[in-house]
Amino acid sequence: MHAFLVTLILFTGAVLASLALLIALNKAGREGREHLDRRRRHILEPAVFRYIHETGHRALPNYLPKSLSRRDRRVAEAVLLDAARLVRGEARDRVTAAFEALGSVRDAILGLRSQRWWKRAESAERAGLMGSQSAVEPLVAALGDDEGEVRIRAARALGLVRGSTSIRPLVGALADPNRWSAIRVAEILIGVGPEAVGELLAAYDRLPVAGRVSALDILGRIRSLEAVPLLKRTLNDQHPDLRARAAYALGLIGDPAFVAVLIEALRDVEWPVRATAAKAIGRIGGRAAIPALCEALKDRQWWVRANAGEALRLLGPEGRDALIAMLEADDTYARHQAVAQLEEGHIIDDYIADLGSPDESRRSAAVRFLEKVIALQRHERLTQQSVEHAQEGIRRTLLKILNRPLPEGGT
Amino acid sequence: MTGKRDMVLIVDDDALVRRFVGELLHAHGYDVHLAEDGEAALRQVGELRPDLVLLDLVMPYKDGFEVLNALKHDPATREIPVMILSVRDREEDVVKGLNLGAEDYMRKPFSTQELLARVRKILDRRR
Repeated sequence: MHAFLVTLILFTGAVLASLALLIALNKAGREGREHLDRRRRHILEPAVFRYIHETGHRALPNYLPKSLSRRDRRVAEAVLLDAARLVRGEARDRVTAAFEALGSVRDAILGLRSQRWWKRAESAERAGLMGSQSAVEPLVAALGDDEGEVRIRAARALGLVRGSTSIRPLVGALADPNRWSAIRVAEILIGVGPEAVGELLAAYDRLPVAGRVSALDILGRIRSLEAVPLLKRTLNDQHPDLRARAAYALGLIGDPAFVAVLIEALRDVEWPVRATAAKAIGRIGGRAAIPALCEALKDRQWWVRANAGEALRLLGPEGRDALIAMLEADDTYARHQAVAQLEEGHIIDDYIADLGSPDESRRSAAVRFLEKVIALQRHERLTQQSVEHAQEGIRRTLLKILNRPLPEGGT
Repeated sequence: MTGKRDMVLIVDDDALVRRFVGELLHAHGYDVHLAEDGEAALRQVGELRPDLVLLDLVMPYKDGFEVLNALKHDPATREIPVMILSVRDREEDVVKGLNLGAEDYMRKPFSTQELLARVRKILDRRR
């Protein structure tokens, strides 16, 4: 029994010692490889940078040692992948040409056919960073991969490669929300920028409603002037979601010439369209919309009133005057929204400060204004300031207007 | 070309950017110095008096705006032109940088030829 235990302990010790040795050797090997990589990078990086910085026709291999080992090729590729993130324009084209010359694009394409999904996903990402048009077809094929992660990385890669053959399948992906996350595809297309506009416009009528909603959002966020005719036309679409998105997109693009059509949209039968039209006018800032925005303050939907009020507040002095005038509107909703916006824009605070003005007419105007606010039962801010305001005279005047007792010693 | 080369201080916490832009400017005849954070940048500007500071915005300890502000409030360094080179591409960052006194603002990723042209332009204006 004793001998068995000793044998067992020795055996376990030997196994543990072997494992520790194996781990140590593995770590030493990895560190050794990393050290060699760093040394090679120290030598190769300046040569790769020199190639990228020049503008001639000499290919990357002319800048590197004649016999390039596998390690050197891997290191040069790592340098190029880092540089690809830093540059655009001609330098970026030279990085892509270098990947092609090193055979890295071919390897990435081969990786897209791997049995392992993580290898395919990684290859898709690398192919995107390399930016080579020759990877477009295999990447488009990878959009049909069974693994979602491979599909989305292939989509991102196509967004990086650009060109119409890359962008078209991405726009097509907007049509299939069950297979694709529309938000992620939209982000990719927004990242592509103006280059995506032509394909989006060409595909728009073929997309289902959900895809069109995404397309309108993307066109707005790219701020495409080319999309304006479509957006204006969509303000009359039979589908309210599309009308609302078109109004929002016009607001993002922000041309003051859109205010007239957005005023029309403020009268839409569907409240989401009216709300986004008001939001869009707020972004653009058209004074011509003041009467329509004042009318929208009476809307039965809070969201429309809030956006219209905000739009008036953002319009500056004219919008502020319109909000003050709306304190006497017939409509309760409009009066309350006007107060809320005046409070938000610190206009009420300005009038409170005027209570301490040496100018009698300003003091009187402030009292008249604040009495209107009190008549609307909106006296939270005034009550707070009657206690907290730094000037005693203003605190006392506010208490008088609020019809509250003055503190002892008051006059 | 005259004997004295224009001196450019590249301030970026990313070593790759420092090396990449440093190689680019060095290859085009500039005397390049590197700083890895805002504090090192202020120290080196004081010591070297470069002809141009190429400044990143997102950095540890002292960000680019703080460095720019410090340079533009010091009578000894306020005349040194600063060009921002940053991944931050929001309109408010560009406006803030220019309002604080930067000569120019470039976004990353950048065109190497455009960077060289802008650097040359700033240095020509300074002469």
